[in-house]
Amino acid sequence: MSGTNSNAAASGVIERVWKPLAARSRSKRALLLMLPLVVFELLIFVAPFLILLRISLSEAGERGTAYAEGTWSTDAYADVLTGEVAREVITHSFTIGLIATAIAVVTGLLYAYAIWRADGFTKSLLLFSVVLPLLTTLVVKTYAFRPLLSPTGTLNSLLESIGLLSTPLEIVPGLAGAIVGQVYIVLPYAVLAIYSVLATMDWQLVEAARDLGASRPRSVLEVVVPQAMPGIIVATVISFAWSVGSYAAPFLLGDNVTFAMRVEGQILRDFQWPTATALSVVMIGAMLVVIAALVTILSRFGGEMEYA
Amino acid sequence: MRKERLETALFRTGYLAVFAFMLLPLAVVVVTSFGNSGQLAFPPTGFSLTWYESFFNQTDWLRAFDNSLVVGLGTAVVATILGVTAAFGQELDDGLLGRLLAPLVLLPMLIPPVIFGVTLLVYFTEFGLRGSYVSLILAHTLWATPLVYFVMRSVFSRFDWQQLDAAHDLGAGPVRSFVHVVLPNVKHGIFVGALLAFIVSLQEFVMALFLSNHTTETIPVVAWNQLRNSLSPMVSVVSTFLILISLGAIVLAAAATNLNWLSKQLS
Repeated sequence: MSGTNSNAAASGVIERVWKPLAARSRSKRALLLMLPLVVFELLIFVAPFLILLRISLSEAGERGTAYAEGTWSTDAYADVLTGEVAREVITHSFTIGLIATAIAVVTGLLYAYAIWRADGFTKSLLLFSVVLPLLTTLVVKTYAFRPLLSPTGTLNSLLESIGLLSTPLEIVPGLAGAIVGQVYIVLPYAVLAIYSVLATMDWQLVEAARDLGASRPRSVLEVVVPQAMPGIIVATVISFAWSVGSYAAPFLLGDNVTFAMRVEGQILRDFQWPTATALSVVMIGAMLVVIAALVTILSRFGGEMEYA
Repeated sequence: MRKERLETALFRTGYLAVFAFMLLPLAVVVVTSFGNSGQLAFPPTGFSLTWYESFFNQTDWLRAFDNSLVVGLGTAVVATILGVTAAFGQELDDGLLGRLLAPLVLLPMLIPPVIFGVTLLVYFTEFGLRGSYVSLILAHTLWATPLVYFVMRSVFSRFDWQQLDAAHDLGAGPVRSFVHVVLPNVKHGIFVGALLAFIVSLQEFVMALFLSNHTTETIPVVAWNQLRNSLSPMVSVVSTFLILISLGAIVLAAAATNLNWLSKQLS
């Protein structure tokens, strides 16, 4: 009996949500077409996050279990927020995130500008040089820097042989190595985000500024940058979100633990699910705050934000 | 005048340096795959095909290839269906749901993959799906769908919708008018969307690392586990194949549309 009751209640809820949606939209068919994706996002994106949140509020499990089901506790959050290790891990992740983002966005702007100004074969070649790494796996992208940048690697032996160095540079493993790898991962996205906005821009605006006496660097700073700002914002958000959560580059090229590496260890090896999930929740929160701040600051410099 | 020439020279050096930076690691991968020693060195001490030979003799790599293919095709099918229907529905009627859809679809792309790995591992374990192909396909679909969806939004926005009205006026039903009127005009877009979804799945490894088990490991996961131990040219051989597949996909997609349009869709 209770089964049919809850079924009736469920269909009542669906009716109440569906009716206003259908009333505000002009056609039912359009809603039905969008429904599969909405249901998918709810089941595979929203619901798992609610469960993650719930586990982060559980007590740690006994030996051999990942967490204690049905318990409520904020211990995991207390651990994350007061623990020395967690703080180091979070600081390290944000350091990589901010430096990699700054480098990727500035370089991305230069390269996107170059692509925009080029034409014919050069343009295709430049575009190709971004699209190919973008579609290549993270693993491949990062490990190639090891033979290049390690103390016995190509760069160091090259610099030593021409007498510029006496002791090899410690780029890999190290913070610099992790950042080089991470920049390589996000740069294609930054370039294309900025390029897709620049492509809609009118070159004559820049020419006009130059005819009026602006120097070339000034015309770029005062005409191109404000116009490209929506692209620059997207580039910043993507670069930052991915660099803070970076895993492969700091693992293979760095010398310190990022939050992603720590979470991976806690989940797959140490079975400390509450702490790992609490750390994830704290990181998402902190990331969103920084992203909101970055977007606000950048929006002041011009451009209107649009989705995609 | 001299200042201008200096600026031009600086700008050229700048973007050529970035160009080299973008392609150098890929070149290193391809060149080291032909090395003849057990250690990965660039440039290699000598060249040989030894590692290619042993690749085709190792069953775990070949199985990983099969796994990647299954997961990639599954992702392409699911993501394409979800992305195309949603973009089509939104084009018919951009109502309340439509306005909520774009941010909802976009948001997963901003969450670090490790967090997804954790979240979905916990989630799929509850349903007993841990390690299954289904879990990998659904996880990859989360990342591949935004691409298909935005490619299709862009394609549909260029379609002349009066043609669809005309088909309706002439008595064609919704399915028939979609197949005969809309589909021929957007099939290139659907193809490119599916291809991108396949590539995204093929190359993704953080979520796959969490969600796969020994029998469902995809190529990047096996490569990663090898890299953890040692840097062997075998990884370069596999990576060379992955780069070649991406290269093929770009050529195909560029032939179906054009490289400039494709690039703008990827951001």
